Amino acid sequence: MLEVRDLSTAYGPVLALDRVSFDVADGTVTAVLGANGAGKTTLLRTISGLVRPKEGSATYDGHDLTRMAVEDIVRLGVGHVPEGRGVIQELTVEENLRLGSLWRRDRPDRHRALGEIYELFPPLGARRAQSAFTLSGGERQMLALGRALMARPRALLLDEPSLGLAPLVTAQIMSRLRELTQRSGMTILLVEQNARSALSIADQAVVLSLGRVVLLDQASAVAGNAELRHHYLGF
Amino acid sequence: MHRFVSFTLDGITHGMIYAAVAMALVLIWRGTRVVNFAQGAMAMVTTYVAVSLIDRHISYWVAFIVALVAGLVLGALVEVTLVRPVENKAPLVAVIVTLGLLVALEASAALIWGGRFRSFPAPFSIVGLKVGRSQIALSPFDIFTICAVLVVMVGLLVLFRWTSTGLRMRAAAFEPEVARLLGVRVGRVLTLGWALAAVAGSLAGLLVAPKLFLYPNNMDAVLVFGFTAAILGGLDSPVGALVGGLVIGLSLSYVGGYLGSDTETIGAFVILIAVLMVRPGGIFTRVNPRRV
Repeated sequence: MLEVRDLSTAYGPVLALDRVSFDVADGTVTAVLGANGAGKTTLLRTISGLVRPKEGSATYDGHDLTRMAVEDIVRLGVGHVPEGRGVIQELTVEENLRLGSLWRRDRPDRHRALGEIYELFPPLGARRAQSAFTLSGGERQMLALGRALMARPRALLLDEPSLGLAPLVTAQIMSRLRELTQRSGMTILLVEQNARSALSIADQAVVLSLGRVVLLDQASAVAGNAELRHHYLGF
Repeated sequence: MHRFVSFTLDGITHGMIYAAVAMALVLIWRGTRVVNFAQGAMAMVTTYVAVSLIDRHISYWVAFIVALVAGLVLGALVEVTLVRPVENKAPLVAVIVTLGLLVALEASAALIWGGRFRSFPAPFSIVGLKVGRSQIALSPFDIFTICAVLVVMVGLLVLFRWTSTGLRMRAAAFEPEVARLLGVRVGRVLTLGWALAAVAGSLAGLLVAPKLFLYPNNMDAVLVFGFTAAILGGLDSPVGALVGGLVIGLSLSYVGGYLGSDTETIGAFVILIAVLMVRPGGIFTRVNPRRV
């Protein structure tokens, strides 16, 4: 269970998150929606420890993440796939993937995880020795996602996985994510500009505007409320 | 012809020493984006550590190993105590810290060990080998110098390419934030980078001391040559450091040999300025079209 309570994060005098609160139950998908500059990326960066909040807490399984080092939050089982995907272009596909599980002690399972990722995303297996620089946008997204999965996370923070991808590829990625939650009970916090595709797999939706939660409801309710959708989400 | 061969051999030996210094600078640059101007002074200090032991009749090889270990510790210490506190400040701050450290180390060395020139032993003969009846400019110690630097270079290359630690180091160098998100303890990796760099630097100090004598700023010129080699190689490339070192070693040997040894330093500056004007990225850096 991820509990976000009164989380406020500021960049200098600018408040990027303003007392944000919501819960994410285990094994569910929560979509974080909102326009550019609404604070979506800041929310994820605060939860994964990259930025420190001014106030409030983000608790995962009783651990206050806002007091932990980034490196330890991963070890707790919370993975973060950053915006722009963060694939390291200077490394090969396989090196990128291995990097995701280096901290884990269980060597045989690290190896097993690698095999599973190649099974889940066959294009990566075909390009394992290639520099990540040579990958297409969709393949990079697979790589970023696969690399986070190498850690066998219990919760995943995803920042705009559909960014720059063709609709068909986006749909594939979304269905993979849905499978993951159903099969392994993974919790997902999904930041998206593409509200429609995010709502298609989400259980719950948080809509942010200028750093505040303006709506927190079941994904189906949000998708069904035409006025809200139109006002905040633009479709 | 004989002179040319002599200058070439001499250039290769010196080039390997510059390559070791360049390697140290590259290691630190890759990890922390800082040019460590104190690299030479740190090596000078560890060379003094070695000579202090040798003065007490401890074997050269024990002193050699202790000096390298001292380099390892000194490198880590400098990173943790001096560089880490300014890592989020403007890039120039860390550079100024290393310049300050250079001055502080040289002054402290003069206080502790005195400013006079001291001889430093070589573990092998420094008399050129004989080929047929003529003596060439390659001594057993020169061969040792070349081999020792090659061993360190190959060791670092193996570490980078084929070990998990190397993978962590590369990831931390290229994308520190992403590396942290993947659980890499970037701080520790950077400390290790500084430590390993200081080992390479210390090796250069030990190898150059028999030729140059040991005194508090004996590494100043070597650092300039090593820095030029690193820039020539692109500052980011370990292979570039090796090739840059050899190019600088050979060039300076020819310049010094044919034009007089006083011109060596000027030669290095000419090369440095020429590289910065013509190919500021160095020879070995692909200017990667990085996405932001």
